[in-house]
Amino acid sequence: MKRYTFALLAGVLVAAGCKDSTAVIPNDAPTADALAGALTKSSLQTLAIGLMAADRQTFVGTGSAYPILANIYTRDIYRLDPSEPRYLNETIVATPDRGSFAGGGGWAGQYVTIRQANTTLQALGNPSPNVFSAAELAAAKGFAQTFKAIAYYRILEMRDTIGVALQKDDPTDTNPADIICKKNMINYVAALLDSANTNLVAAGTINFPWSAFPSGMSAFGRNYRSVPNFVLLNRGWKGKVDVYRGLDHQNPNPAMFTAAIAELTQALGGVAPGAVSPSTFATGMYYVFVPAGTEAAPNPYSDTRIGINTALDSLRAGDTRASKIVTRSTVTIQGITLTKTLARAVPNAANQAAPLAVLRDEELVLLRAQAEFEAGQFVQGYADLNSVHTNYGLAAYVPGVDINQARNDLLYDKRYSLLGEGVQRLVDLRAYSRLNAANYPKQTATDAYNSAFPIPKAEFDARNGNVTPTCN
Amino acid sequence: MKRIRSSVFSLALLLLVSASAFAQTRRVSGRVTVEGSGEPLVATSVNVVGTAIGGYTDDQGRFTLTVPDGPVLLRVRRIGFVQKNIPVAAGDQDVNVALSRDVLELETQVVTGAATTVSSLNAANDVAVVSSEKINRVPTPTIDQALQGKVAGAVITQNSGAPGGGTQIQLRGTSTILGAYSPLYVVDGVIVSNSSFTNGLNVVTAAGSGTASNFAGSQDQIVNRIADLNPNDIESIQILKGPSAASIYGSKGTNGVILITTKQGRAGENQIDFTQRFGTYRISNKLDIRCFETVGEYVDWTGSAGAALAADSAAFNQATNKCHDFQQEFYGSPQPLSYQTIASLRGGTNAGTTYFASGLVQHDNGLALNDFYNKQSLRLNLGQAIGTRAHIRTQTEVIHSLTQRGISGNDNFNVNPYTVFSGTPTFFDLQKQGDGTYPKNPFVLGINPFQNADLIKTPQENYRLIASANGTWTVLNTTRQNIDLMMTGGIDAYNEADRVISPATSYFEQTQANPGTLFNGNANVRFANLTGSLAHRFTTNGFTATTSGGFRQERRQSDLVQVTGRGLPFAGVYSVGQAVQTFPSENLSLVKDFSYFVQEEFLTLAERLLVTAGVNAERSSNNGNQTKFYGYPKFSASLRSPWVPPTVGDLKLRLAYGRAGNFPTAGRFTFATTVFDEGIGGARLSTIKGANEIKPEIASELEGGLDLSFANGRASLRATQFKKTVDNLLLQASLASSTGFSSQYINGGQLSTHGTEIGLDLTPIDMGSFGWQSTTTYSSAKSKITRLPVPPFNPGVGSFGTTFGNVFIQQGQSPNVIQTFVGCKVPLSATGSCASANKIIGFAGDALPDYQMGFTNDFRFGAFSLTSLLDWRKGGHGINLTNNYYDGGLLFEDTTASIARLAGLAAGQPVYVEPNGFVKLREITLGYQVPDAVASRLLAGHAKNLRFEFSGRNLKTWTKYTGLDPEVSNFSNQAVGRIQDVTPYPPWKSFFFSINTTF
Repeated sequence: MKRYTFALLAGVLVAAGCKDSTAVIPNDAPTADALAGALTKSSLQTLAIGLMAADRQTFVGTGSAYPILANIYTRDIYRLDPSEPRYLNETIVATPDRGSFAGGGGWAGQYVTIRQANTTLQALGNPSPNVFSAAELAAAKGFAQTFKAIAYYRILEMRDTIGVALQKDDPTDTNPADIICKKNMINYVAALLDSANTNLVAAGTINFPWSAFPSGMSAFGRNYRSVPNFVLLNRGWKGKVDVYRGLDHQNPNPAMFTAAIAELTQALGGVAPGAVSPSTFATGMYYVFVPAGTEAAPNPYSDTRIGINTALDSLRAGDTRASKIVTRSTVTIQGITLTKTLARAVPNAANQAAPLAVLRDEELVLLRAQAEFEAGQFVQGYADLNSVHTNYGLAAYVPGVDINQARNDLLYDKRYSLLGEGVQRLVDLRAYSRLNAANYPKQTATDAYNSAFPIPKAEFDARNGNVTPTCN
Repeated sequence: MKRIRSSVFSLALLLLVSASAFAQTRRVSGRVTVEGSGEPLVATSVNVVGTAIGGYTDDQGRFTLTVPDGPVLLRVRRIGFVQKNIPVAAGDQDVNVALSRDVLELETQVVTGAATTVSSLNAANDVAVVSSEKINRVPTPTIDQALQGKVAGAVITQNSGAPGGGTQIQLRGTSTILGAYSPLYVVDGVIVSNSSFTNGLNVVTAAGSGTASNFAGSQDQIVNRIADLNPNDIESIQILKGPSAASIYGSKGTNGVILITTKQGRAGENQIDFTQRFGTYRISNKLDIRCFETVGEYVDWTGSAGAALAADSAAFNQATNKCHDFQQEFYGSPQPLSYQTIASLRGGTNAGTTYFASGLVQHDNGLALNDFYNKQSLRLNLGQAIGTRAHIRTQTEVIHSLTQRGISGNDNFNVNPYTVFSGTPTFFDLQKQGDGTYPKNPFVLGINPFQNADLIKTPQENYRLIASANGTWTVLNTTRQNIDLMMTGGIDAYNEADRVISPATSYFEQTQANPGTLFNGNANVRFANLTGSLAHRFTTNGFTATTSGGFRQERRQSDLVQVTGRGLPFAGVYSVGQAVQTFPSENLSLVKDFSYFVQEEFLTLAERLLVTAGVNAERSSNNGNQTKFYGYPKFSASLRSPWVPPTVGDLKLRLAYGRAGNFPTAGRFTFATTVFDEGIGGARLSTIKGANEIKPEIASELEGGLDLSFANGRASLRATQFKKTVDNLLLQASLASSTGFSSQYINGGQLSTHGTEIGLDLTPIDMGSFGWQSTTTYSSAKSKITRLPVPPFNPGVGSFGTTFGNVFIQQGQSPNVIQTFVGCKVPLSATGSCASANKIIGFAGDALPDYQMGFTNDFRFGAFSLTSLLDWRKGGHGINLTNNYYDGGLLFEDTTASIARLAGLAAGQPVYVEPNGFVKLREITLGYQVPDAVASRLLAGHAKNLRFEFSGRNLKTWTKYTGLDPEVSNFSNQAVGRIQDVTPYPPWKSFFFSINTTF
């Protein structure tokens, strides 16, 4: 009996003695609490860097597919990959699959940027007492609004009339947002840029209230840490948006061209048509890539699978932009043969770290020329266009008044000046209804001439398939 | 509290019963032997039926019992033999009993709780028991492969033919979507790790991202670490298939539990077993590829598009006017012999010490150059009796494995052999040339897989220690009562070191920005657990009541450090620190669980009725509420019918209900993601939203069935029906990514699975030297999502988009349904392409089979034996993306089929979804038992036993599936969607010759 009692007690004691706490706190990553609480200058920098990094991330990793896919749509730059046939199958062979990286690309990453902007805007509503001046808060708000508008505009570039979801302001809201039609969305983007501009102007001549700025935003001819300089960037984006508001193939709005000319002129420091010095063409906003370390963000074009279809090459003799193109080893897949590639695509350490222009003054000059042509200001348009055209060893265009000729001239220079810098060519060809068999021979038997990505499958599923944009 | 009440009740009964005494007694003694041979049977239980009187036979098979006066009925039983009831008349004192071998394994002791077992004759669950002999019938690389086709209700899938494992077991259909998918493995009472870690192949394949990312999840033909165990050490495996049996394992029991018992020493003479096996692995299937003997043939075939490349290849002067069979050249070249050397020593001393020591040296060659699997294992199991009431056992196994599995599966850098083969016409010679160089392949960016196999090394090395100790103290032992205090503790600790060494000199690396790639991954895993229990057994003339209770404490810790290096300026220098670029990463994990359990078993009606009830209460750091106990109850009853026809030996009806859980693997927090922009740190919200109240999935299972033995023990049937309902499904539900989140963790929805399992064992012939035994298993399991609180979605498991097919979670559908395009809304011409908006999204089959059957037949002709196992999987579908790789270049022999598939793909048809049912000749063994006299002569009188065996595995597959192997999956370590066939490592068949001898 004693032994029995002892055993029973021993069992109970051992059980109680071994009763270990099961509380464990994760120690390999911060939780969302790290971003919560009253805003300080340090936490504002964390959010602002997070915002700029999220924006750059849309060109890195899986996000890097979308600008390349857009360039395949326009038959400019290809990625031929025997191990990934969807780069061709869902661009110029058949149609994109909303469930794949090809059809669903260029979306989620932009909304991460937008959510980060919304997180920042929300945090700016809860500043720590006596830390920020009103001007600093206004500047930071304009900064976040500008990046938010850029992200929305990029979604519009890829979706066009398919529609764009308007994210709710609460960054933790997980309910699907409304899908908005192109006309309303581009007006929203324009208004957001103007609102940002108002805040930035109100901030005056100060620097943004955090110290660390990536070199891509500060070291390419203009330091955007200075709020007045950032106003120029904001106006540049607004001018670009307004050019395409004017060219909207669904709802053209020619009145926008005049506004665009004014905004682009402001962005160019008030310099008159034809007077922008080529030495400032490279000035602007860039992404600077850091291929290694935890950052692991290489330039997306530095890849052996990239190539240029020389069958569609239109580069004129003497054009010094030929230096952007080099010979590559021949590759043929599904009947498409590539023998050239971007000089920047040759895979090496330097190209992996090569900066990529996001919006620079040469593009602003070309955009102003475009707006001027569309507004009927051919003299000014050719003055701007020739300032670019002649910079590359070519004889100046003789100014004419034929809008089609002006567009041809403009598109040539936009193609080669901005080769591999963004998705401008897709937007232009679509705006001018030139992405068709009349302008481009079929690359494959079933070439579908796609011009926009579909709404991704997760959006489609979340709305039970109802992704028709609303337009009121 | 309940445990204490139960114990107090037992104590009261003890006091009551101890007052009684037997009036008149007599002695009965006798001997138990093996029927036929007359060998003594040691440790055989002899009991007086209806009393608590009993004992065991000694080394000579003898026993002596003091029994009541008058006639008694003795029950004589030993695991592995058919029990007998022997009437002993009032005047008889000597009883001799011969037990026949239980060839159908009608009776074993099966686990019912942490501290209790019960005879399978009374078990209320269909617990599968697989013996050592069945596991080791045919040499297999790993233990999980050895179970294929042998367990009703287990779908066991080998991801690819790469050497060294990579096999998943799924018991009773789908039990989760995103929770832990693997059964729990318990070795000698200790929970061991079946984790899997990336081997780093992604740094050269870029699978999973399409870019030069560094680490991937489930696409690297990952090895589950249960592959480490030495199958030859295993005495038996018991499989608790579902929650009704596995509720004692709480939130780790949903997927079933595989209980492994290793061999122990036993008193008596030392026995040394030695087995030597030699064999070979060969490619068992190849794709039919179009033959081009010359450049001209290829240019004629492709037209001008191929001409430039053909000319390019001619410049390399590699046109050899020969049709090269790349698959044979790469995977079919003769390899040195594979081998296994196994030795063990088993014995015990008179001082109560028992020992079992074993060693294994295994070397399996893969199909391709430099691919192999090496394993060495040492085991020492010791037992020591301490007096008559206590016993201690320790089990220790030290394992080392080293494997190179080559490169296969999804690949975005054209480094996988099949990716390259699918784009290279066969006139081109890729093999190493006489001057030691490899031709640069103009068809696929210059890349040559033969060169890769020569230069790229992918060693995965693992050192592992699994150690456990069990102590039992019999606190009280009377004829009526028994109290045992038991403690079991153990550790499982290992370091898995994964490396990828890809020198800068390969053509593949020359396509990279920083030629030369290194990966150095180290996974340090430590599992520790401790179980304490008290069991009280109380026996009367009318019943036996067993009360048990205790606690279990677990700690599971892992630290995964991975570093990738890119750019290796110095040949032969393989330190990541010397690379131009480095990419570090670390993942830390710590999980702590604690549980109490209590159980009551009540055996009555002359051991015909067993009723069991128990509950396990567990809390875990995995849960949102880390201090809350979640309860997992169980109830069961079994009744062996006393009224059976004369031809029926035993008929048992059984019913069991139980709950088990599946712990959340993640989701308690929404994390902040640290980001860097030019080295400046920032942060943003993660794209995955957490749920701070996340809790375990709860699986409830009702299992019923009948067990029947008839034809004088020569036939037995086990039939089981089960229904399993999983609530609080752990889901990473997709969100509209316009929210900035891609998914959120939720508990929600319900998954229901029902199925049938049948096992039929027959001994059609048993005529002395000629015998035939047959085992047939059948199982089916159908799952359906019966409730879903969120819109239908693609779960976060690997797939390649709707075009090819992906898993889709939708109420009313199977969780393994394949969603894809199934047509076009508008009419199309024969070559028409369906626009994205017009493609009809639908379903094209289910990934899981309708049912599966296993047929095992053992024939014995004197000294010869022949054993075969046919594995039949009926129904099910796979997605054959490998075909898509070849179709684009029209390099398959059957180009008509390729063209039709491409046209179908453009038209929105599910052309790559294929039925993947199959019949496989899984195992076949021909054995010869050398007569003892000859064996003795051959081995100078030392050998007691000598046996030769010739065996084959996966020798033949019958299937309509057009890919390399219907079983493969690129995404393997996931609960659903193991169906993507992406240029896998081809399947193997093996031939082995074995010599086994006992000294």
